[in-house]
Amino acid sequence: MSIKNAFTIVFGKLMVKILRLLGRDAGNFPGLVLWTVNKDCLKAFKVECPIIAVTGTNGKTSVTNYLSHIFSSGGKKIITNPQGNNLDTGICSLLLQHCDMKGRVKADYLVLETDESHVPVVYSKLKLETLVLLNFFRDQLDRNGEVETLILKVKKFLETFEGNVVLNADDPNVARLGLANPNNKNIYYFSVDKYSGATDKPYEVGEGKFCPFCDTELVYDYYQYSHIGRFHCPKCGFGKVKPYTQIKNVDLSAPSFEADGETYKTAHNSIYYMYNMSAVYSAAKLYKFDKSVLRDTFEHFEVNNGRMERFEIGGSRLLVNLAKNPVGANMTLRVMNEQEGSKELLFVLNDNLADGHDVSWIWDINFSVFKDVDRVITSGTRAYDIAIRIKCSGYDPDKIFVYPDLDDAMKALFSTVGEKFAIANYTAVQPTRAAIKRYKNSCERTEEQNGKA
Amino acid sequence: MEKLKLLHMYPNMLDLYGDSGNVEILSYRCRERGIELEVSTHMIGDRETDFTQFDIIYLGGGADFEQQLLAEDLLSCKDKIAAAYNAGSFFLMICGGYQLMGQYYKDSNGEKIPGLGLFDYYTSASTDKRCRCIGNIVVETEIDGEKYKVIGFENHGGQTVNVKSPFGKVLYGNGNEFESSAEGYTEENVIATYLHGPLLSKNPKLSDRIISYCMTVRQGVKYLPKPLNDKLENDCRKQLFERLGV
Repeated sequence: MSIKNAFTIVFGKLMVKILRLLGRDAGNFPGLVLWTVNKDCLKAFKVECPIIAVTGTNGKTSVTNYLSHIFSSGGKKIITNPQGNNLDTGICSLLLQHCDMKGRVKADYLVLETDESHVPVVYSKLKLETLVLLNFFRDQLDRNGEVETLILKVKKFLETFEGNVVLNADDPNVARLGLANPNNKNIYYFSVDKYSGATDKPYEVGEGKFCPFCDTELVYDYYQYSHIGRFHCPKCGFGKVKPYTQIKNVDLSAPSFEADGETYKTAHNSIYYMYNMSAVYSAAKLYKFDKSVLRDTFEHFEVNNGRMERFEIGGSRLLVNLAKNPVGANMTLRVMNEQEGSKELLFVLNDNLADGHDVSWIWDINFSVFKDVDRVITSGTRAYDIAIRIKCSGYDPDKIFVYPDLDDAMKALFSTVGEKFAIANYTAVQPTRAAIKRYKNSCERTEEQNGKA
Repeated sequence: MEKLKLLHMYPNMLDLYGDSGNVEILSYRCRERGIELEVSTHMIGDRETDFTQFDIIYLGGGADFEQQLLAEDLLSCKDKIAAAYNAGSFFLMICGGYQLMGQYYKDSNGEKIPGLGLFDYYTSASTDKRCRCIGNIVVETEIDGEKYKVIGFENHGGQTVNVKSPFGKVLYGNGNEFESSAEGYTEENVIATYLHGPLLSKNPKLSDRIISYCMTVRQGVKYLPKPLNDKLENDCRKQLFERLGV
């Protein structure tokens, strides 16, 4: 190890220790400092175990958590970033916490959620074994640049990458990357057979309607959701691949799916969840994990971090789901519509830096599909924007209630008893969960006091 | 029922940043006044489009890649589009749509895309892709002789110059160029702007200016739109103007 790198590690470890003594949660900060002192600081770490990275617009956190659960089975030691922290500095902080004074990171596997735009910078310095690529949608465009710029960044990295690439065959934006390095034989596509909710025409706006190789308009046999579906280029044949994993018989009512001739029960029932499971299955299969571990994980494991998280409060049931972009929001609306009977929706919209300051993406959400929605409550720093959006879809403005403050929004939401759904964007999801818990606690305290009286 | 006809050009390509929302908003505000907004589309390769029959011609914003793909088709429609403009159709153009109607657009890869040349302005983007005007923006325009604040979100690398009659004066944000005082381009029957948001979502009077113009042309007498319940829009404007200090 060079003297500079040795110094980097010692300096970083001391910083983490001092922060701990001060009672501070280290977070991104040590990584940020280290990155400032030494641009190549990631090279100072010695990682000898396989690194599995998960990237894509939607589902990174869920897939990373599922894979961590599977890869830690049988007492294996894994290091992961389950809460996100997926930028170069976050990953640097994580390794700093887990390494010894010589920069050695000891584990059986590293499972790292990695931001799309940070894949090249992180894995030009750490040796990656497997990259799992989920999808590319419009997300926070004002921060990341247009989707195409992002895809080209990952493509450039893959042109010289020779490790495993697990990728979505049904997303043209992802499938094209399987051809980035013609010499790489370790390409593993996953695909999901047509499910009951698939459509002949696109249901929501999406990216990638033109062939990236010859500019011809792509032809779809069907769309599963957004631009995900079975597609091919009529001119050059792009899209016709033989998948490593073909998920079959997706049954949303069970819910379950079939892979390699076996049926797996799942904890949730939306098509985008099935695609996430397809990615998880493929990566686990690549590392030869036992089917009983997979079966148990698919049926029982829950991320519970504002990702399809269920709450019960005073006789009401609430399902909370993160949505950072139209595709995520449309999926929650689908789940909501598939549930019979009347319901209410809470939408929490923020425009902080991590959300992207631009909230215009909400206009790509398809609200015209609203079925039996009795009331809409909006909250967050852009509560009015989302209220206007829903109004202009034709929903009765007298049924829309705006409460920028989350605690006020909770009081309003639970003033009636019934089925509730909540959609929150990136920086809104944790405050929303916290407000739900505060409301729940205050109800329980009131009940206790009433009981005593 | 009264009817207005809108032509949405290249909706499958020029639809970044929720710009198609403008069409949804115009439809909504027409419907509330008992006017049906009939929406048609023009896609690459459509040879039959009769541009002059439309009251409103709409173009949204797109990525550089898509702008290059459609430039040739757009140029092939030049005479027909110019005829519609001369006949008084209303032109609403956002971002990429705004750029493509000028002399040319030199994109962030240094490639020059010829514009339709309907107007004199022209646009060049820096080849440094990070060099973009991004953020909330408020401009002051004039509607029927009264000043009106228009709020939106800008996100463009292109710097547009030689603009004879800007759409508005910048109160907050960048505008046609970095830190410029002017934003967009306007004429009696033209609004061309960098504002996303989408543009019409928080500026109901702007939607109504377009509807009034078109209905007045149709009916031959000044059309006064019925006021609507714009409480959400007005509360939203109030909150954001306070936050941005304008």
